[in-house]
Amino acid sequence: MSNSQVPQSEHKTKDADSSNIPPIPQEPTGTGEDDSQTHFGFKQVDKTKKASMVADVFHSVAAKYDIMNDMMSMGIHRLWKRFTIDCSGVRAGHKVLDLAGGTGDLAAKFSKIVGEKGQVVLADINNAMLKVGRDKLRNKGVVGNLEYVQANAEMLPFPDNYFDVITIAFGLRNVTDKDKALASMYRVLKPGGRLLVLEFSKPQSEMLSKAYDLYSFHLLPKMGKLVANDSESYQYLAESIRMHPDQETLKAMMESVGFEQTTFHNLTGGIVALHRGFKF
Amino acid sequence: MPAAQLVSSGIERIINQLLKLDASSVLLLQKLSNKQLSVDIHELPWIFKFSFSDQVDVLTVMPDEELLSDCHLALSLSTLQKLKDTSQITRLIQNGELVLEGDVAIAQQFSQLITELDIDWEELLSKYTGDLLAHNTFRLGKKLIHSAKAKANRLATTLGDAAIEEKRIAAPAILVVDFCDQVNELRSATDRLSAKISRLESQSTLSPNKQSN
Repeated sequence: MSNSQVPQSEHKTKDADSSNIPPIPQEPTGTGEDDSQTHFGFKQVDKTKKASMVADVFHSVAAKYDIMNDMMSMGIHRLWKRFTIDCSGVRAGHKVLDLAGGTGDLAAKFSKIVGEKGQVVLADINNAMLKVGRDKLRNKGVVGNLEYVQANAEMLPFPDNYFDVITIAFGLRNVTDKDKALASMYRVLKPGGRLLVLEFSKPQSEMLSKAYDLYSFHLLPKMGKLVANDSESYQYLAESIRMHPDQETLKAMMESVGFEQTTFHNLTGGIVALHRGFKF
Repeated sequence: MPAAQLVSSGIERIINQLLKLDASSVLLLQKLSNKQLSVDIHELPWIFKFSFSDQVDVLTVMPDEELLSDCHLALSLSTLQKLKDTSQITRLIQNGELVLEGDVAIAQQFSQLITELDIDWEELLSKYTGDLLAHNTFRLGKKLIHSAKAKANRLATTLGDAAIEEKRIAAPAILVVDFCDQVNELRSATDRLSAKISRLESQSTLSPNKQSN
C-alpha cells in the first residue's frame, strides 16, 4: 500500500494541463449561500437537486451498466471487487449491506458466502439500478438470503449496530453529503464490523494520471455515446471522479465520523482505492 | 492489477465449470455447504479460502486478516497429488508433509469432490458434433491410448531383456534380491563384530584397574 500525501487543495485545484481537459473547479468555501451548493461533476448545483440529477444519470445508464463497466475497465473492475470481498473478512452467518449496490456484483458473491443463516441487503437509491440488479441476480438463482432496499445512504433505514460488513463500491462519489452518509454507515455497523469503500481515486504517478485524464475525458464519453447512446452521463462519470476526495482526504473523513484502524489500498496505480475502517 | 484475485478468479472458474459438467457433484457439494476450507500451498505466495455453497467461491486471505476457516491445510504442490488417496492423510501428517487444522472431514470431502468428478466428455462433445462422430472420436482415442500403452509396455520389456540378457549391463531381479540379502547378512555380521569389539574394549579397560587394586 502506498499512502498518498498530496494535500486536498492540490487535488481539488489541479489544472489539467494535458490537451483539452477541462480544469477542475474550486470547491465552495462553505459560507453563506455556498453551503447550499454542491458539485455535480464540474458544475455547481443546488444540494437539493444533486440526488435527482444523479438519479437521472443512472436511470439512463442502468440497462447498459454492466457492459459499460466491462468495457471501460477492460474487465478489471471484477478484480477490484474481488479484492474488496477478500478484504471484507465475511463469513457464514454474517449480515452484509451492499450499499449503492447497483447491479449486484458484490451482493451475489456475499450471498453465497454468508449462506442461509446470513443476510445480504442490496441497497441503492436508484430504483432503475435496483430493478436491473434484482432481475440479474434472480436469473442467476441468487435468492433466499438477499433483500433489496431502495435507500438513501445519508439516512439508512436500518437499526443501529446491525451489519457485520458494509460495502459501497463506486457509489460514494455520487452521494450529496458524504460525511452524513459515512456517519449513517457507522451507526448501522456492529461494533467489530467494518466498512469498505471502493472508489475511483487519485493515480499515484504523473504519467498514469495524464494517460488516465486523456482516456476518461476523451475516450470514455465516446464509448458511452457508442454503446449506451449517452455521452453526457459518461462525461459526468469522468468529472465526478476528479471531484471525489483523494485517498488521504477520504481516510480522514472516515476517521472523523468515528472509524478506527482506517487504511487504504491503491489498486491499479491508484486509479481506484479501497478504504477500510472498523467500528469498535 | 491484483494478481492474487486474477489467480483465484481463474481457479474458481475452472472448478465451477467442471462441477457443472458432473451432475452428481451436487450431492457432494451439499455436504460442504456453508463450510470454508483454507489452503496454504508453500510454492504460492497467497493463501486461498474455498467457500462452499451451491458453487465454490475462491477467496484470497489477506496478510493482515485472521485465518478463520473450518479447516486449514498447509502443504506443498507435490503433497497435493498424494491427497488423492484420503487414507494417506494420517501418514502425511505424521511425516510433516501436511499440516491440517480443524475438521478433517471437510478436507476429505473436498478431495473427494475433485477426484471423483465423473465427466462424460463424449456426451459433451456429441452436443456439438452429433452422437456418431463423438462416439467414433472417443473410440478412436481410446484405441490409440490403449495401443500406445501396449507399445510402451512392449518396448520396456524389450529394452529390459536386451540390457539383462544381451548386453549384460543390468542384473536380473532375482540376482538383485539375492545381492540385497547378502548385503543384509554382511551388515548383521559386521554389527555383531562391532558389538563384540566394543565389549572386549570395555573389558580391557576394566582389567588394569582391577590389577592396580
